[in-house]
Amino acid sequence: MSFETFRDTIFTLACDHGAQAELYYVEGDTFTVRIDRQEVDSYTVAKSGGVGLRVQHDRRDGYAYTESFDNPHELFNKAFDNAGTISASDEHPMNGAQVYQDVREPENPTLSLTAAEKIELAKALERAALAADPRVERVAYDIISTQRASTRICNTRGLDAYQTEGFSYCYVSPVMRDGDELRDDAAYRVNAETTDVEGCAQEAVRNTARQFGGKPVAPGKYRVLWENASLAELLSAFTPMFSAERAQHNMSPLKDKEGRKVAGEVTIIDDPLYPKYPRAFDAEGTPSITKTVVERGVLKTLLHNLKTAKKAGCASTSNASRRSAGSPVDVSPSQFYIAPGEVPYAELVKTLGEGLIIRDVMGLHAGVNAVTGEFSLLAKGALVENGAEVRPVEQITVSGTFLGMLEQTEAVGNDLKFGLPGSSVCGAPSMVFGSLMVSGK
Amino acid sequence: MNLLITHDRAYEVLRAAQETGADFAELFMEDTRANNITVTRGEVEDAASSHRHGAGIRVFAGIRTAYAYTADTSRGALLETARAAAAAIRGDGGTCAPFSPRDCRVIPRIPFADVRNDRRVKIARDAYDGAVGYSSEIVQAVTDCIDVDSDILVCNTDGVFARDRRCRMRLFVRAVASDGKSTQTGHEGPGYGMGFEGFDRIDAADVGKRAAECAVTMLHAPECPAASLPVVIDGGFGGVIFHEACGHSLEATSVSRGNSEFCGKLGMKVAADCVSAVDDGTMPGEWGSLRIDDEGTPTRRNLLIEHGILRGYLVDRLGGLRMNMPVTGSSRRQNYTYAPTSRMTNTFILPGEDDDDAMIADCPEGLYAKSMGGGSVNPLTGEFNFSVSECYWIRDGKILTPVRGATLIGRGTQVIARIDRVGKTMTMGQGMCGSISGSIPTNVGQPRIRVSELTIGGKGGNL
Repeated sequence: MSFETFRDTIFTLACDHGAQAELYYVEGDTFTVRIDRQEVDSYTVAKSGGVGLRVQHDRRDGYAYTESFDNPHELFNKAFDNAGTISASDEHPMNGAQVYQDVREPENPTLSLTAAEKIELAKALERAALAADPRVERVAYDIISTQRASTRICNTRGLDAYQTEGFSYCYVSPVMRDGDELRDDAAYRVNAETTDVEGCAQEAVRNTARQFGGKPVAPGKYRVLWENASLAELLSAFTPMFSAERAQHNMSPLKDKEGRKVAGEVTIIDDPLYPKYPRAFDAEGTPSITKTVVERGVLKTLLHNLKTAKKAGCASTSNASRRSAGSPVDVSPSQFYIAPGEVPYAELVKTLGEGLIIRDVMGLHAGVNAVTGEFSLLAKGALVENGAEVRPVEQITVSGTFLGMLEQTEAVGNDLKFGLPGSSVCGAPSMVFGSLMVSGK
Repeated sequence: MNLLITHDRAYEVLRAAQETGADFAELFMEDTRANNITVTRGEVEDAASSHRHGAGIRVFAGIRTAYAYTADTSRGALLETARAAAAAIRGDGGTCAPFSPRDCRVIPRIPFADVRNDRRVKIARDAYDGAVGYSSEIVQAVTDCIDVDSDILVCNTDGVFARDRRCRMRLFVRAVASDGKSTQTGHEGPGYGMGFEGFDRIDAADVGKRAAECAVTMLHAPECPAASLPVVIDGGFGGVIFHEACGHSLEATSVSRGNSEFCGKLGMKVAADCVSAVDDGTMPGEWGSLRIDDEGTPTRRNLLIEHGILRGYLVDRLGGLRMNMPVTGSSRRQNYTYAPTSRMTNTFILPGEDDDDAMIADCPEGLYAKSMGGGSVNPLTGEFNFSVSECYWIRDGKILTPVRGATLIGRGTQVIARIDRVGKTMTMGQGMCGSISGSIPTNVGQPRIRVSELTIGGKGGNL
């Protein structure tokens, strides 16, 4: 049945049961091609769609999700039954009709390429990587992907919000050999830059080649220059700390820290309207708001959805999220980044003087604990002596607490870089920190 | 909604997928229902149900493949999806063999659909109470009672027409301990490949208590020092070391493309004599088990390492074509939105002959890792890392103190060569394993083992 019929049936059922209902409908298509030795190795095309239903009855919310639009009664009953199970009594308001800013998606010519053109682009990316350095033995991954997604949120209170997003990326991972040493790394480009296959290939090869000859350093405390892309990944793993939901559940080191100094001279911004991936509203249909989360080390606000805001007695910061259309409403940042400073990268290396450059960390899903704020991660990078890079470093771990590290901020670079987007996207400049514990051999 | 598709319809879809000359085509259909109840702060905080339904079609022309999927399983949509996949390849043509139906479905003793939510709530609450009741220092616990019932069908032009029903359930507990100054966490997540009756095997309050115990122990532990020393790793989830250090690198996904440090090493010595390991998808009722894999191949017990000699890889259809090796019943995917690839099921080191207590008693200085967090690996270089959630420092053959915040790193081939003791009793732990075909349930396991030297990451000073 059509979405409209499905929606109307659900809304009538809600009305009959004295309940409110909110539908979160997502629809999208995906194209991905992987090239191997100048041939199409694998190719994925897809259309997907699903609808999440939130039923509110007696101030309690139940959820149900389906990808099959043939049985609205079953979906409603499931969500209604789930609502009856809830015993927590926190009120979770639903938005009524809202007015949104006009949000313009950045131009992205890649989205209008034909399948054949995208395949050619991916082939060119592989060729560029192979030609970039004689030590490139082969290319392990070479991918171009384009996606279109639309979201519609409507509820019995009159909300009806709709937005579409396009996204594209290319990704290449060369395998290089130098004598007995084998190394890999990767680089990517997104959206309008997806066609910059030459730049992407050069960067991937540079990232890989600079690892040759890497070895551990002696364990101890080191000064650290953490490079932008890797620092953005670390920030991303720690974003749950900034969720008011987590704080209200005693699961964030930032609980009750609003208005207090929590870091060094660091500013962190959450901006859903930032021109990289702008959006008009969050997963509850709240219009997008830009806010400074940490201002020169002082925590100005946690991130809220309507539920956590009600409990805290403030307004939603437009950070409602859903991990998927079937997941309950949660809290996540939108475009979340550490504000860049003015120091060029080369100056940061001089400021570091003696210490380590961290370029890559592994094991973020296990080695980061956003509840305690601690991390301990496998890392790679380079050793710096007398303000100059001396040799590559690998097979070390870096350990510390995220806030403790920010507390020791000594310099902030001007090279803000964003990671690949998921439900949030995080960015950071390269930064110099006073001290981190390093293990090695 | 169900997965009834007639042989004629399936044949029609597969033939459409072969229109551009594919030598092989496969249709995968899925209908999955899941429930998740979350208790936190002592209250039922979230209750969500989901119904996933869709189909994926894969075509091969030699070793080139294309995949298309759709949430709409009407005849028109399936044919359109088949043609979308076919459009990406050009082949010399193939045939479609008559179907040999195989029905592996087993009806669980207690189907999830027959269970009212109050029973799920009770389990989650018992676990919560177990955690919070353990100590006044437990400031929070979040418990999830999860069940998933998946009906799948896979058919292909080789004549496979197989159905299976996969039921899984899990209790997951995270406990948070705090003394007002610092905070630590502990987690436990037992689960089985069974119907709701699987919860009879789980003492929910005890699961909560164990998660809490870990959090409180770590709360009072000093930071782990950074060092390079012998490490004793317990059974159960400790098996994640083999999963990361070795298992992923034995998957055809890496091996068939030359992206694994175990390439070309079949029949060669890669580990100490005391190390033998298998991947066994057949174990009844286990979290990582399957009757058939996602290509319709029956699962089996695959010998990976025998007394230190590399004996086998985990091979899916595509990997098998690339490597010229038979499939091993190891092809898996998170759901229909992923093309399947070679993955693990229940992977473990087999029991050895060594005494558990002696591993610690014989150690002048080292780390005893009792419980593990997750980890990851780069199969090309074998570099792996994983976090230790509960561990103790050993000095002079005795436990000196618990230590917190430890990470273990190394290279796969190096580490399995350094396993010098293997205990007598194997136990398993449950995890979700992420890779290119999505997140899937897997068991890891081992007896207690000792690794003669590993790099230990931590931020502590001398103990």
